[in-house]
Amino acid sequence: MAKISPKNIAEAIYCATEGKSASAVEPLFKRGAQLLKDKRMLGKSREVLSALEGLIEKKSGAVRMKVTTAKVLNLAERKKVEEQVMEKYKARTVIGEFFEKAELLGGMRVEVGDEVTDTTYKNQLRQLENFLMR
Amino acid sequence: MSNYIVENLRKEIEAFKAEIKTEKVGHVMEVFDGIAKVSGLSDIKSSEMVTFAGGQTGVALNLEEDAVGVIILGDFSKIKEGDEVKATGKILEIPVSDSVLGRVVDALGAPIDGKGAIKAGKTYPIEKVAPGVVTRQSVDQPVSTGIKAIDAIIPVGRGQRELIIGDRQTGKTALAIDAILNQKGQNMICVYVSIGQKDSKLRKLQTRLEEGGAMAYTVIVSAGASEAAAMSYIAPYSGVSIAEYFMDQGKDVLVIYDDLSKHAVAYREISLLLRRPPGREAYPGDVFYLHSRLLERACRRNAKYGGGSITAFPIIETQAGDISAYIPTNVISITDGQIFLETDLFYKGIRPAVNVGSSVSRVGSSAQIKAMKKVAGTLKLDLAQYRELEAFSQFGSDLDESTKRQLERGKRSVEMLKQLQYAPVKTEHQVVAFYALTKGFMDDVPVEKIKEFEAGLIEYTERNAKTFYKEVLETKMWTEKGEGELKKAIADFKASFSK
Repeated sequence: MAKISPKNIAEAIYCATEGKSASAVEPLFKRGAQLLKDKRMLGKSREVLSALEGLIEKKSGAVRMKVTTAKVLNLAERKKVEEQVMEKYKARTVIGEFFEKAELLGGMRVEVGDEVTDTTYKNQLRQLENFLMR
Repeated sequence: MSNYIVENLRKEIEAFKAEIKTEKVGHVMEVFDGIAKVSGLSDIKSSEMVTFAGGQTGVALNLEEDAVGVIILGDFSKIKEGDEVKATGKILEIPVSDSVLGRVVDALGAPIDGKGAIKAGKTYPIEKVAPGVVTRQSVDQPVSTGIKAIDAIIPVGRGQRELIIGDRQTGKTALAIDAILNQKGQNMICVYVSIGQKDSKLRKLQTRLEEGGAMAYTVIVSAGASEAAAMSYIAPYSGVSIAEYFMDQGKDVLVIYDDLSKHAVAYREISLLLRRPPGREAYPGDVFYLHSRLLERACRRNAKYGGGSITAFPIIETQAGDISAYIPTNVISITDGQIFLETDLFYKGIRPAVNVGSSVSRVGSSAQIKAMKKVAGTLKLDLAQYRELEAFSQFGSDLDESTKRQLERGKRSVEMLKQLQYAPVKTEHQVVAFYALTKGFMDDVPVEKIKEFEAGLIEYTERNAKTFYKEVLETKMWTEKGEGELKKAIADFKASFSK
């Protein structure tokens, strides 16, 4: 018998709750939790939630991005980055998370899903190091 | 001097342009026994190379729904959970160049012989589809191994795959090394792939090849016993990639895989760690494909596609002579013949311990030179008859003359096929020796003096049958004139030998 993955459960929960009212959804969540308990998968609940979150974002055309910079970005800069990502990934909305890391020295690292665009000085210095070693 | 360095460094830095691109990145979920489970990397291809944050290289083998199973090539002790893993978009490749000759490299093509860096040329992918039928040509040129039992009875052709199979300590590696040593001046590049062997054995082998002047045309690819299973897994593919580099230049290459039993064991280890379902003897289901795709890359290409050939000598170690085990039967069915080495023969003093009855070369006879075919044509049959009569003669002493004659000839044939290690015999010398044997010149030479007779005969005929040697070397056959000269030389030598 095929093994049930957290992704399978997340898909089942999504399909069962799609387009339903809040009152109709509540018993479904309870049954979902019961299913996890019955299948001894309560330990995987975090993975189920993460898969469900990813599924909802995918269906709603939302893109989650993580931006790391050396200095804090102001609102206008953040908006500009969001617009660029929205255009590149043809997304309806962008959920942005912004972080600061002084060791990057400059530039920016943008992560969307498993794609990374790294323009930081730290990365460029690493490339220079590899180039000179060759 | 310092100004010169600074100036050059400045030029290099000015020429550098940082590359900004979007990369596929995953994260290590878990690491164990040389395997990493990586999340992300959604578009990764099977066998694609990945790089870890610490600079280690890996190969994606298992593409699962939510994770990728990666084998780590090198030290995995520094890889941590959460580390970044980048997909390179390339199939694993190794650097190849002419400078690799004479060197010992690891499975990734990096030098391990302490002789400094190897000048990089091109890179070749380690996994490649074998040449198609259109590009191939039938095997019709011999590989002279210098081993009488092989060259005469189980001849191997350029582009052939001939398995060397036998128990431990039966002389499998020795046979392969002799074959390499005999390639001197034969326009052949040799690649020796050592899989899971002890470093001491490899060192001994390298020294032997250096002493014999064979390292000039040989590359050793080593994945030692202390290295990760992943290195043993990729080593033969790296070896054949190096061979393909030379074949692409129209050269003939001899590749020795020592040994594919350990290769299969390494692959079994990786597969079980990747949780692939085990099959017979716990090997994964694709273990046949593991070896068939490797050995299919041995071929002889036709002139239209650049010529060149790769001859493969895979080695398989059997357990207590069991050739019906899983891996031996697989490789026997893939190859174009096999050379069986037997423990019993080895301890009887018949060395190389080749069982000529069970050994076979499926395409080799067409690659044998005419002269050798003529003198050794009946040898296999004679030996088979001798073995049968030998068993039969043990039951009774009353034997007729022709049976006695056959037994005596058989004894001399067996003696003649004995050969010392690291002492390959030239083809033309073999022709002379077998000529003398099959024409009955040795029938009255005592068995214990056959070796002495053979050595003396070769020395004498080299001086006194020059036309014969010239004809064999140039036309691969002799004329009546040459034969007459040889016959006379043999008779003269025999007369002096008897005295």
